[in-house]
Amino acid sequence: MGLIDHRFEDNFITTSIDRVLNWARESSIWPMGFGLACCAIEMMAASASRYDIARFGAEVFRASPRQSDLMIVAGTVTKKMAPVLRRLYDQMPEPKWVISMGSCSNAGGPFPTYSVLQGVDKVVPVDVYVSGCPPRPEALLYGLMRLQDKIRKEGTVLRKERVIMSGHSEPTVIGDRA
Amino acid sequence: MNTIIRFFKTIFLVDLLKGLWVTLKYTPQPAFTFQYPAERRATAPRFRGVLRLQTEPGTGAQTCIVCDQCAKACPDDLIALGGHREPGQKIKVLDYFDFNLSRCSFCGLCSEVCPTKPIKALIMSEDYELGTYGRDAQILRVDQMYDGVPIEQYTH
Repeated sequence: MGLIDHRFEDNFITTSIDRVLNWARESSIWPMGFGLACCAIEMMAASASRYDIARFGAEVFRASPRQSDLMIVAGTVTKKMAPVLRRLYDQMPEPKWVISMGSCSNAGGPFPTYSVLQGVDKVVPVDVYVSGCPPRPEALLYGLMRLQDKIRKEGTVLRKERVIMSGHSEPTVIGDRA
Repeated sequence: MNTIIRFFKTIFLVDLLKGLWVTLKYTPQPAFTFQYPAERRATAPRFRGVLRLQTEPGTGAQTCIVCDQCAKACPDDLIALGGHREPGQKIKVLDYFDFNLSRCSFCGLCSEVCPTKPIKALIMSEDYELGTYGRDAQILRVDQMYDGVPIEQYTH
């Protein structure tokens, strides 16, 4: 994948390849379950039969970072856990995404203390922030769908910088990463 | 004797068939899964979703009296609000209401202390679909406090 990432100009072959690659990426996001606190219970509920995250192609919660595309950080990230989290993120193969689930991993939550990381985006780049304490399984699925939106509109093989509208609320700039 | 029974059980796969029978019994039942974006489960009556300001139902007038009690009640200091008084008017006009959603633990203390009657100005609404692409989108301004957070619809 590294050979063709962000190396091509905009034409109908590359945009078609782009669409296929993005379709493949968005419809089989294998998450790495990073359950750290009570949000993990809701994450498990989302993967169980009632809500069934498998409907989005994300049912395979891998224990190994080498086999996963998405890190769902569910719960309070302590400063002791932060280097471990960063190492596991580094071990994930590209392309990789991060969902920060719950108020604790979004911003530290109700723990503005010496031992808690004030937001997981201090150590890893976060794609979607799901608010809630803890978020309902539906809210996690909604976050997953927003992530799929984001992936669908990313340029995979195109070189050009694109400003995309991900939904009607916020535009996102996809920079030239080559 | 016991050994013979066990031998025949093993030969005729009794335990396996028992297990498969359980599977077979559950197969014709309808699926348990909620088709989430298409169908939405009703929230519990005491469910606490994202914070929302209410207007008066008929007139659309402001119900918040800018008493600052919610900001004082919040255990994490997430609410900042302010207003001014028009000359000759008794009621204050709400100028800004900033609510930092990112840290909120949805405890509901702010809406519990809200004193306005009969319509509560500050309620915990039933919205729970809160996914943003950035931290700055999680600070809700006054217009989002009235209208709610924009939700993408994924139903086809």
